[in-house]
Amino acid sequence: MSASEAVAAADTALADPTSARAWRRITLHWTVVVAVLFLLMLLAGLTMRAYQGGYVMGLGPEWFYALLTVHGLGMVGTWYVGAMAGVSYRLARFARPGLGVARFAYLGTAVGVVLLVLSTLLGRFGAGWYFLHPLPFHSGGMWPEWSIGVFFAALGVLGVTWTIWTLDLLRAVARRYSLGGALAWHVIRGKQGPDTPPFVLVATSTLISAIAAFVAAVIMLVLFVAEWLGGQFVNDALLMKNLVFFFGHGLVNITMYLGVALVYDLLPEFSSRKLSVNKLMAWAWNLAILLVLLVYFHHLYMDFMQPRFLQYLGQIGSYLIAIPAAVISIFSVLYVVYGARVRWTLAAMFLFFGVMGWAIGGVQAVIDSTISANFRFHNTLWVPAHFHTYYLLGVVMMVLGTLHHLAGEFAEAPENARLSKVITTLFLIGGYGFILMFALGGAHSVPRRFAAYPQDVAQGIGYARMALPFIAVLAGAVLLYLWDTGRRCAQAFRA
Amino acid sequence: MTPQVAAFYLYLTLAALIAVVFLVVAASTRRPREVSKRGANRLRAGFFVLLAVILFSALGLTLGRMPYDVWAGQIPDQVVYVTGKQFAFAVAGTPVETDEAWQEATMSPPVRVPAGSLVEFRVRSLDVNHGVAIYDPGGVLLGQIQAMPGYLSRLRMRFEQPGYYSMLCLEMCGYAHSSMRGVFIVEPRA
Repeated sequence: MSASEAVAAADTALADPTSARAWRRITLHWTVVVAVLFLLMLLAGLTMRAYQGGYVMGLGPEWFYALLTVHGLGMVGTWYVGAMAGVSYRLARFARPGLGVARFAYLGTAVGVVLLVLSTLLGRFGAGWYFLHPLPFHSGGMWPEWSIGVFFAALGVLGVTWTIWTLDLLRAVARRYSLGGALAWHVIRGKQGPDTPPFVLVATSTLISAIAAFVAAVIMLVLFVAEWLGGQFVNDALLMKNLVFFFGHGLVNITMYLGVALVYDLLPEFSSRKLSVNKLMAWAWNLAILLVLLVYFHHLYMDFMQPRFLQYLGQIGSYLIAIPAAVISIFSVLYVVYGARVRWTLAAMFLFFGVMGWAIGGVQAVIDSTISANFRFHNTLWVPAHFHTYYLLGVVMMVLGTLHHLAGEFAEAPENARLSKVITTLFLIGGYGFILMFALGGAHSVPRRFAAYPQDVAQGIGYARMALPFIAVLAGAVLLYLWDTGRRCAQAFRA
Repeated sequence: MTPQVAAFYLYLTLAALIAVVFLVVAASTRRPREVSKRGANRLRAGFFVLLAVILFSALGLTLGRMPYDVWAGQIPDQVVYVTGKQFAFAVAGTPVETDEAWQEATMSPPVRVPAGSLVEFRVRSLDVNHGVAIYDPGGVLLGQIQAMPGYLSRLRMRFEQPGYYSMLCLEMCGYAHSSMRGVFIVEPRA
């Protein structure tokens, strides 16, 4: 029995030993999938940066863009499923998420990933991870028609799979707490109600926003396919851009918040100080449902035909969302740790420093969501600097920490304190160094998504080359992490 | 110092501050101590006030500086037509609305604008989304606007420094995206 199971209440998925064993196994399978995908996508990223540094010979730029597409979608997908896997297992302590749905999600994700790889690495589909309409239909002779269909099929499979998975978790939460109870409305009203854990409040708020994002994805996909299948129907480019960013921003934002839910849940377990839901926290996470969906306008600042008031809403919303994030969540994390007795396992370090990455990435986000700054920063390397901070040094650390902890819990494996410290240090040095090169690029006008840098922005070559040793350090940390977590998984599978 | 570099230093300073706070908090666990919830909440309230003041001040200072309707009441001194298509920007003194006109304009001598004049770029695309980013002779990005198929957008700018100005594409548009460019010349004032 794992530590999670020991505290699970009756009538939860972990209370029954058979069910608990099945949940352990599927979480282990997810851990292996996340690890393999992370390593492959990291290699794709390394290849891209090396390409930009002029070190990759014999590959045309269409391959750079195919790699870019698979790396972007691959990473976004990997960390969404990694976070969902962690959240599903930890939710099983409180409620009964569906094991059948969890297995379906695993299978559906595998099918979607295979289709994505076929489309990009075989078909050279290179429209980028947000496949901005109408670029998929204008390959310039680089990708065949079938690769467009396979790409849409990948999105369709992943979208349907993940929507069902998200709905199931909401169903499980609603059954145990009622939706209002999970969102702590009773706390807001000062009334009696269920003892809602902060993790459930954060996860529920986030999953509701996720459904909205997936609905937009379905609409957008139907419109894309309708145009692709022929006839006179042509989509409006501005509508399609709004839809893809409502969906895309929503997906990455909720992925970050699923990671934050894991922090709220796990970090206090390593500390002598705990967190509970109060009125402020309840208000913040209820407002977040809407705020998360409204800030996406900051992706369309340079589309001058977008209605003005939406541009204003984008900047105001993007600024305001920083307040609950910093004052409620980030401050609470610092409170849980400051002067407390903390067991600094790898999980605790990764969760804690993952929140630091969220905070630092947030500074860049506020700067870039200032329209007058975006006028100069939009689609330069400033943008990958920002989102790699949020991902690699934010939610990736939160998810990696969680999965390392769970694998250890299942295997009852001891912590190797020295190794954990080495992994964390190398990860932070490699990660922040790699991202610094993006930030310097953005500060010096280097565009993003350039396979090769022309003379006007030749400094981009130098920044790409300087990123490579940092990626090597990061890769070292990742390999050590995979070895340590892999050992735990192997032990847990045998248990 | 360009605005981009200034913003980078601001980011670096704030990032370093955040890192120091997190490292100090982590180090504090070496000497565990009691922390009153009341004290923590007072600190939280202070942090909220500070953050709100900073963010609302920044909103006030920056919301009025948008690139959309600058010099709205004035008639531009010169209109320059920019049309994007895979993989070049046609920059011309007359509208470019067909593939043939685009082909011809990409081969023509660069448009010239006088330094200090108010230039209005009328931007369109003939195929996919492109990003028209204007770089000064020193390679600094001065500003940008998206070219979206089916729409006409307008960007107004003034250029003080004479020389060759490049346009690079900042919205990924296909395999030759990074070689896409346009050019115009800013002439010294007469």
